[in-house]
Amino acid sequence: MFVLLRQLHSDRKTAGIARPARRLSLAVRHVDAGSCNACEHELGATANLFYDLSRHGITITASPRHADVLLITGAITSRMVIPLLSAYQAMPEPRLVAALGDCAMGLGVLGDHRDLAGPLEHLLPVDVRIPGCPPTPEQILDALASSGLAGRATTLR
Amino acid sequence: MGLVTKSAPQNPGTTLVQTTPSSWREAHDSAIHSGGRFRGLYAVGPDEARCSDRAGRDETGTTIRSVFSFGDQVKVLSARAVPGRSGELRGAGASLAGASAAPAGASVTGASGSGWTFPSIVDILPAAAWDEREAHDLYGVDFAGHVPMRPLISHSDCLKSWTVPVVGAGTHQVAVGPIHAGVIESGHFRFHVVGERVLHLDLRLFYNHRGLERAAVGAPLDTGLAIVQRACGACAVSNTLAFAQACEEVLGLWPDAALKTQRTVLVELERLYNHLNDIGAICAGIGFAPGTMAFAALKERAQRLIGRLTGHRFMFGTIQIAKGAFCLAGGERREARQELRSIGEDSMRSWREVLFNTSVQNRVTAVGVLDASSAARFGTVGPAARASGIPADTRSESPRLDYRELQPPSPVDPTGDVAARMALRAAELETTLALLDTLLRCDLHDATAGAVAEGSPVGVGVVEGPRGATTCIVESDGTTIQRLHLRTASYANWPAVAHATAGNLLPDFPLVNKSFELCYACSDR
Ligand code: SF4
Repeated sequence: MFVLLRQLHSDRKTAGIARPARRLSLAVRHVDAGSCNACEHELGATANLFYDLSRHGITITASPRHADVLLITGAITSRMVIPLLSAYQAMPEPRLVAALGDCAMGLGVLGDHRDLAGPLEHLLPVDVRIPGCPPTPEQILDALASSGLAGRATTLR
Repeated sequence: MGLVTKSAPQNPGTTLVQTTPSSWREAHDSAIHSGGRFRGLYAVGPDEARCSDRAGRDETGTTIRSVFSFGDQVKVLSARAVPGRSGELRGAGASLAGASAAPAGASVTGASGSGWTFPSIVDILPAAAWDEREAHDLYGVDFAGHVPMRPLISHSDCLKSWTVPVVGAGTHQVAVGPIHAGVIESGHFRFHVVGERVLHLDLRLFYNHRGLERAAVGAPLDTGLAIVQRACGACAVSNTLAFAQACEEVLGLWPDAALKTQRTVLVELERLYNHLNDIGAICAGIGFAPGTMAFAALKERAQRLIGRLTGHRFMFGTIQIAKGAFCLAGGERREARQELRSIGEDSMRSWREVLFNTSVQNRVTAVGVLDASSAARFGTVGPAARASGIPADTRSESPRLDYRELQPPSPVDPTGDVAARMALRAAELETTLALLDTLLRCDLHDATAGAVAEGSPVGVGVVEGPRGATTCIVESDGTTIQRLHLRTASYANWPAVAHATAGNLLPDFPLVNKSFELCYACSDR
């Protein structure tokens, strides 16, 4: 364990990431509505020590009840519409919606129209768009930390 | 055997064997007994059945095919049901009854005459259970003897129709998903439990079903490549490579040495970052944060390297049909080997810390056991099968790739538990890194594929991805796709996850699940 901790410490040093000037508070609920899993991998990567999502005060919550933002990946399959809308409905107001990745933004979606219900914009009001296929962890982090999302979530409060 | 061998094309790999519904079971029996490994069963033909009523479709009839690999050779069994020929299926009914599938005989005779009924093979080949359910849900094919036919992809039915009835004092159900607590893909699990003990697990996946295979019908081959790539990001190379190999078989092409090497490098890079991810994920399932963070950092380093080498962190766009799509200068390859050596050293150091941590080992030993006979029965592939003692590594039978230098990984005690699956990945990491070090010494320029044979109407590609053998079948006239079927390692292994979970504690499920670390996107398509 000690060896691991020492290695993490040195990795963290090499990563050389700065402490943010202002800490925010933003609880994000992720919903996969038909993604290819690469967007999930990159969202997950924002938590590793090279990006350290939590240094910005951003957390991924386990329940929509605790969330400020609903972060949605994927092409919105018809089977995910009901779970997605119930997650949105379960969120306290004020609430924001973010589309992560080209699929969720309705760009270049592949598939059979009978199985797809997208684009997301037709279902929910989208506040933030994070383009990319998949967006890199930096892009995700930047969008979440500096888009004024937390600011908006606070003013809405 | 009663098989009629028709139209065996001039093809280095795949043979199409025509059978009939009445000899369907017999053909499978002989394929299994001559050592064939099942790679999937699929229906060809109109899928309007799923949205319209069944009237009218009986005029057309349908075809189903089933794929077996024998080393590097592939056999595709094909059978067409013709409406109104009831005699054929009565024959099948008799053989079903003979094969001691008790309820089967009656239903076969009852269903005969429809052009959409085939005898089920699940009693002799349990690995085909999901395939038959899928063909039923998406293409309206009936399988006589597959009782009850539980919906798999279709979600419109009531709970009772897709769950196994579990009754008794104190039994209750715990439903989880489709949306999970963390950053996880969507899927629904229904646990039947007594107290904390799981008696049975019913899976309901396919929330991410995008109809990719149907979208590919009528599309040019290159569009198929984009479709397959987006089936799953974490297996993008394996899936697209299986597709490209299938297309090359359709076109009668064979990769040259440089293309073989280049593609092998890409598959092994994919295995590298996935195995690092998976060990970290198991640590997360245990709740061992230092391990999770260490392997997440290693995965990040691997993906950064991959991004530098190929221009994409998931290697999107690096596989093309009949040509290489990336090249590396000598300096880049040297730098890559250096970074890989460093990742290798750090991952082995971290792995030893995980391996010798008592509390970690306590959680993973004898948990989520998949014994060898169950693994064989379910047709389990990849690390999950190998950790149970089944030698299932198609890398040694991949003549379209460059595995001459593959050294078998150091042996792992095949106990089939979470510990074995984790240790196996660590052992395979070493093999992969050694292989990459050798392959990256080679020149990777000017890769292409040359004509070696006449084209063939059906091409099959089998690639050993990070989670096991992924099969892609392409039926094409050489320009457009008539049928595309992608049966990934995740699809093959999901039933084994449910089996390995039964008997364990509910709180251990994340751990068991992560030790297989299957993709939902890959199976849902
Ligand atoms: S945007 Fe790209 S990476 Fe993200 S889910 Fe869609 S296909 Fe996958």
